[in-house]
Amino acid sequence: MMFSRKPSGASSTIGDSENKNGMNNECVRSSATEDSLRRLIDAVPGFVWSAAPDGNVTFLNQRWADYTGVELCDAQGFRWTQSLHPEDAPALAVYWGQLLQSGEAGEYEARLRRFDGSYRWFLIRAVPQRDESGAILCWYGENTDIEDRKRAEMLLAGEKHLLSMIAGGSALTPILEALCELVEGSFNGALCSIVLVDLKHPYPASEPVPRIQPGAAPHVPPNLVPGADGRPADAVLCPVAMAAVANEQVIVGDLNHETRWDGWRARALSHGLQANWSTPVTSSKGTVSGILSILHSEPQTPSTAQRNLIAQCTHLASIAIDRARNEAALGKIRSELTHLARVASLGALTASIAHEVNQPLAGIITNASTCLRMLGADPPNVTGALETARRTIRDGNRASDVINRLRALFSKKSITLESVDINEAAREVIAMLLGELQRNGVMLHPEFADNLPQVMGDRVQLQQVILNLILNATEAMNTISSRSRHLQISTHADDNDRVCLTVRDNGNGFDPQDAQRLFTAFYTTKSSGMGIGLSVSRSIIEGHEGSLWATVNEDGPGASFRFALPRKPQCDNAGESVTIQEPL
Amino acid sequence: MDTPLLITVVDDDESVRESLPDLLREFGFRVQAFSSAPDFLTSEYLAQTRCLILDIAMPGMSGLELQKELKLRRYDIPIIFITAHGDPAERPRLMSQGAVDCLMKPFSEAALLKALSAALPVS
Repeated sequence: MMFSRKPSGASSTIGDSENKNGMNNECVRSSATEDSLRRLIDAVPGFVWSAAPDGNVTFLNQRWADYTGVELCDAQGFRWTQSLHPEDAPALAVYWGQLLQSGEAGEYEARLRRFDGSYRWFLIRAVPQRDESGAILCWYGENTDIEDRKRAEMLLAGEKHLLSMIAGGSALTPILEALCELVEGSFNGALCSIVLVDLKHPYPASEPVPRIQPGAAPHVPPNLVPGADGRPADAVLCPVAMAAVANEQVIVGDLNHETRWDGWRARALSHGLQANWSTPVTSSKGTVSGILSILHSEPQTPSTAQRNLIAQCTHLASIAIDRARNEAALGKIRSELTHLARVASLGALTASIAHEVNQPLAGIITNASTCLRMLGADPPNVTGALETARRTIRDGNRASDVINRLRALFSKKSITLESVDINEAAREVIAMLLGELQRNGVMLHPEFADNLPQVMGDRVQLQQVILNLILNATEAMNTISSRSRHLQISTHADDNDRVCLTVRDNGNGFDPQDAQRLFTAFYTTKSSGMGIGLSVSRSIIEGHEGSLWATVNEDGPGASFRFALPRKPQCDNAGESVTIQEPL
Repeated sequence: MDTPLLITVVDDDESVRESLPDLLREFGFRVQAFSSAPDFLTSEYLAQTRCLILDIAMPGMSGLELQKELKLRRYDIPIIFITAHGDPAERPRLMSQGAVDCLMKPFSEAALLKALSAALPVS
């Protein structure tokens, strides 16, 4: 060991309480070696210190003074705590007090102010020195600079947090804001902004033109962030736009010595920002999907470590932006599928609709003909004409009711949350489908539970699911001729506070192995249809935090499809929970 | 003058049962309306009916089944089918099975008169 000069070769260290004789010998010889020892202590790559048993610091090595800019005489006692970061000082004081009480060795991480006012993280370790009776003679301590490790840890924690936000489906803006703050935490005093870049082809065969859209800029002055106007990026306006157009990093170490981007540069300098590093965010397709821009208050160019850090952060940004864009594309496809399914159901329902509308129309035309004849007779039969005219109006209203029901069912509107009575919703769908069921010779057995709790959801979407399930069941029984066709629609509240609706048929059922595949888009066992009804139904139900599944009937032929939805919370916002049921 | 000819309407739809008989009476016929095929088959008007205006899709016994049943019972009543399923492709098939005409709801007074004159050539 470094301090050991003993010929015996037995090791001796500061704080080694079992080898006090060695220490004493060291002290005896210290006068001869004091200078070399002091040089050694000052050469140790950290701060070495000692303190009295009561915690009063009695010695600090030169490195301490070099780092903090505080002379030893001004740091002794408890004055050294002046160099602690204000956020760390109180907790460290408590911890140090506990160590002094317990007399045990310990360590603590805290930030210490450098002579230039910046802070770095240190690991502060303290070890008590005891005499033969065990009483503490003094404390020895050493502080190690752990700034790099601490930054790596914080970056890792920040990265983990960001990835969990991305995986958890957070919106893009808060993710990018968190990323900006992570960058700002990693580059002392820097301001970070991220803009999105969208490549648009103005003509099919032309080169894509990057357009800048707002992303996140939690602390950057708004007049330094491009993209608010949505116009094509113009490289002469600002370095961010230049990076977007060229898909290359733009490093401006000192804006004072820059001649480009006049207006932007003047604004940046007026905010006291003197350097800008703009780095493209590259999508998984290799195209530019955003620009990460860092503004510094002092002129500077990135070190290798900082370049690596920027690369890490732009990679995170690319994951977040790619995911958000994929989600958006998926959402569009999903809504197109939903619409397609509606159109498909509409096709299946055309006959039913025609029937529903043609019945009252027949009444209207016949009544009007009768009315004309009665009025044209000699003498005119006014009483009869009045009665027929009245019936004409009634039939007209019937036709209009049918159209309104259809419009409500098939209109392409966005999701609206309201409290829905599943029994009522199902009854309306059944009323629409009576003709269809009748034509298919299906006997309907509704079994609606009394006092069924309401659910929160999009009434029209839920009705679409019910419609799909009934049409599916009807089709499943189309080929059955040896037995009568029975369709059972039942509702109940289950033990888990969920509202369930079951559509049970006595058709041919399905192979239990296919229970999951049934819900895959474009999988169908039917000769006609596109096989998207069930997959869309499931996505609707899952969008309502419910589940939809199929089982083969055990006590007879056929299959049962059931969905379960969480019941509406009983005591939510009293003001909003009063929802009046509007009839379709 | 003879008592007017009896035309029978069988349709499960109430608005047809209400409106059509009035128009037929305006034409000068006697009319009876029934909401189902069995009601008509068990009624006293079966034998008197000179023309049957019959809905195709009805719960229970359909219009086509009633047509078969009448043939079995050797009632030779001219039948005018009416249907709300606007599918003209069905028409030739229905006509080939012995119907006088097949009217798609909603039908005009003129179309009805034309069908009636085909069903009752004498008048």
